[in-house]
Amino acid sequence: MVATTIPQGGASDPKVADWAATHPAIEPVVRAIGLHQAFTSLVFTACILALAVSTALCAWQRTKAALGKANTLRQAAGADKASLTESHALEIACDPALSASEVLSVASGTLGHLGIKTKRRDDVLISKSATWSVWGSPVFHWALLALILTLIVGNLLRSEGLMGVAVGQTKADAADSYGLIHTGPLHDWRRVHRGIRVDAFEPDYQSGGIDRGPTPTVSLLDAAGKVVKTQRVYPNHTLKSGSLTIYPSDYGLSATFSLVSASGAESGRGIMLVDFSDDAAIGTVPIDYLGVSDRAGKPLYRVFVTVPLDRKDGAFVKRVPAQLTARVDATGPDGKSVFVRTMGLGERIALPVGGNLQLDDIGYYARLSVVDDWSIPLLYLSLVAAMVGLTITVVARQQIVSATVIETLDGAKLAVRMRLWRNASSSRSEIESQLTQALNGVETGSTT
Amino acid sequence: MTFEIIVMWVALTFYAAATAMYMFGVTFSKDALTKWALWASAAGLAFQVTSLGIRWARLGHGPYLGFYEVANALVFCVAAFFVIAAARNPRLNAAGVAVMPVAVLLLGGSMLASKSGLPITAKLASYWLFVHVAFANLAFGAFALSFGCAIVYVVRVRSATGKWAKRFEKLPAQDVLENLTVRFVLVGFLFWAMMITTGAIWANEAWGRYWGWDPIETWSLIVWLIYAIYLHVRFALKWRGERLAWFAIVAMLLALFALVGIPLAFNTPHAGIGGYGKDL
Ligand code: HEM
Repeated sequence: MVATTIPQGGASDPKVADWAATHPAIEPVVRAIGLHQAFTSLVFTACILALAVSTALCAWQRTKAALGKANTLRQAAGADKASLTESHALEIACDPALSASEVLSVASGTLGHLGIKTKRRDDVLISKSATWSVWGSPVFHWALLALILTLIVGNLLRSEGLMGVAVGQTKADAADSYGLIHTGPLHDWRRVHRGIRVDAFEPDYQSGGIDRGPTPTVSLLDAAGKVVKTQRVYPNHTLKSGSLTIYPSDYGLSATFSLVSASGAESGRGIMLVDFSDDAAIGTVPIDYLGVSDRAGKPLYRVFVTVPLDRKDGAFVKRVPAQLTARVDATGPDGKSVFVRTMGLGERIALPVGGNLQLDDIGYYARLSVVDDWSIPLLYLSLVAAMVGLTITVVARQQIVSATVIETLDGAKLAVRMRLWRNASSSRSEIESQLTQALNGVETGSTT
Repeated sequence: MTFEIIVMWVALTFYAAATAMYMFGVTFSKDALTKWALWASAAGLAFQVTSLGIRWARLGHGPYLGFYEVANALVFCVAAFFVIAAARNPRLNAAGVAVMPVAVLLLGGSMLASKSGLPITAKLASYWLFVHVAFANLAFGAFALSFGCAIVYVVRVRSATGKWAKRFEKLPAQDVLENLTVRFVLVGFLFWAMMITTGAIWANEAWGRYWGWDPIETWSLIVWLIYAIYLHVRFALKWRGERLAWFAIVAMLLALFALVGIPLAFNTPHAGIGGYGKDL
């Protein structure tokens, strides 16, 4: 509860830093107990483990209770007049004008109104819930335990990250292809052999009369580079294959450069990604840089690339601009600007190591959220089992009511035995008062 | 003001009249008045359904988006659950004294919010939207009834003797009332679990993450766990009586906070109830 009122994230997260600055008095305590990363903190993990242990204990106890109830239900099926006469919970005096058979019909009708449907066997009325009704709660608790364990194991194995891929580019699904990545300690990259390619990008894709937003077409490739699956990905239409889910988280622009000799022969290629930013002077900011070194390998400068955007009504248009140019900003190791150039398609910059950097293309890139989690089917299975168990617990009645007419010195009486568990449709006092009213007699006490 | 909104005001007026009649009827033991109160609640429900139906036909989607629609759908479930329960079991009718004010306050609050229709965006375009929101509404309807039964239970405990005791004579016996409270909690607990489950499956299908500790998600879980504790103290620790009733009352207020308070208080990406005109 407390954690929902405090910003979550690492110390460098601006929201966390802001909060820390405005709450200097309590920040040290909050930090010490890990409340900024509450849901991964040790205290929280301990709570989850405690929940798992208590769920296991509860499941065990529920199973034992269900076995007992199932046994009682089985025995109740054998209730006969003799055993009911011997032990019962209520005795209800009956109108002397009613025959034994009429008493049982009236009682059956009254109980029916209370939601207790009885069957008549010889001289005995009996209502008994189905045996499966008692298994709802144990199934629910065991499924909940399975769910918690699957969540824990799933989080240890899972990987989830953001990967920027330009149109036409293929990236290997490996840790260093991601800009931001969270991997569970048991996630094994050696077992992952696949590539992700963005084939196309539609900034305003429409389908079914709904604007789906910026939509990349993504291909998943196997280790041999063969396409496993290709589709457009947009909200509620993720690419799924085995344990993998690919979702478009954001988009930006890409600038493709090649390294060419004076004669124009190409010796390498690089793609620089840029993000949109309303605060930047030309509307974009670089995500990474290209390092340029001299022949001995000593770094000379870093090349940062941005793309000037078009403007409409005073705001930047977050699209590929009409004029395809890139601004190249070279910064020395001391942070000082070495040169700034704005270049058009096909233009070159000479590099001190020889050769030229040539701008080849400007297009879109898609930032894909890639999740690899094998635990999902198991998670769904546990959820379905838990919901089935809970539905049975809520809906299925758990009760036994049996009755017969006995002759006593004070006249005929209805002897009623009942076992009302969790989901009884009525209560003892209600059954008693309704039967007493219907049979026109006076309740005269009980023998058990 | 459009016809649709006028009809909704009429519904609110009927609900408010029903509330007043329940209060007056229960306080002064006027049975006939509480019977009329049930009719007034049913009439309010009919007007509300008409208004929501017109809106649905006009916008092409159900009441899922924005505070006005979602609070309205919650009230619809509360009133429908109550009217059906009280019609089937007339002895439950007096619980309207606690249930109908919840409906009036929530519907009144929604009438203050923006009533303009929001479109189904790409993020929301999924059949999970209907299922997920429907379960949230059903759960709240059930919790509101458990709240009503629990309030009546507490009031009757506190007025065990004297003229107040007589006023509640026609209600079901206390143990029946208690069982009903527990049953409504169980039903709400199931629907709330379905709401969380469908939400998590949707989040996974839509974004590839089933849980993100968003305040709405966290609070949904908190409320569910609180009701789980309620059921455990009832069935495992055999709690009964007034303290169990108080538990149901407080738990329902927390559920209301999760549904309405959290989306209003936090700027969550998942607006849940939609927020007062927040951009979805
Ligand atoms: C108090 C409990 C909750 C209520 C009342 C609620 C209600 C709603 C409503 C009205 C919407 C549609 C409008 C909107 O986006 O805000 C929605 C969307 C959604 N809900 Fe919930 N919800 C609750 C809890 C959850 C939980 C626990 C999850 C699961 C992790 C979840 C997952 C989602 C998802 C994925 C959407 C999709 C759209 C979006 O916001 O972008 N919800 N919910």
